[in-house]
Amino acid sequence: MEGRGGGSTPGVVDRPIDLVGLLAAGHHPAAGAVVLFSGEVRESNLGRAVAYLEYEAQVLLAEKMIGEILSEAKEKWRLSVAIAQHRIGRVEIGETAVVVITASPHRSEAYTANRHIIDRIKHEAPIWKCEHYQDGTKEWG
Amino acid sequence: MTIHVYAGLKDYFLPEFELTEEVGNIDQLRACLLAINNQSAKLLAACRFAVQEGFIDSTYKFKSHEIVIVVPPSSGG
Repeated sequence: MEGRGGGSTPGVVDRPIDLVGLLAAGHHPAAGAVVLFSGEVRESNLGRAVAYLEYEAQVLLAEKMIGEILSEAKEKWRLSVAIAQHRIGRVEIGETAVVVITASPHRSEAYTANRHIIDRIKHEAPIWKCEHYQDGTKEWG
Repeated sequence: MTIHVYAGLKDYFLPEFELTEEVGNIDQLRACLLAINNQSAKLLAACRFAVQEGFIDSTYKFKSHEIVIVVPPSSGG
């Protein structure tokens, strides 16, 4: 079955993201460029010490939307490969929360499409971040 | 009608609850939710709405026993 994250990849997972495994799926004989973006959890936000992040999603809608974003980008920039995966649940400092991989014959399209995909996922997909701070407070993004 | 809410909306509503009132469209649903907790007004104003098939707009007419998802502004990544 086709995953919504591109190829057989699920778009939303509740386990650590396998960057190396996903990058291996990003190679394609027609592609001279592969771009991998990894969105990772920072130790501070606006001067506040972050303990960890917790992500929540409406999984069915998020999967569907990620699939549509990837399909549109793949067609627009003629990508050989487009993969995106977002993690939900508790994500620790330094861990990957979201990954986008794009591959195309030349680097320009892979870079541009990658940025477009991550921007749309951040702003449109029904996925939410709750920041848990070192002082014990929390705040939804 | 069953309502599902997420993220910051859970500070104002249960994650899942039933509405017994007759609610025909998004405007009526918003009013109904505000009547339950008017402190949600600012966040609710920024929310999108969806049903199982996907996002809906203000012209959508709710069916009876529909599951409606209230979607706060995205903050993934």
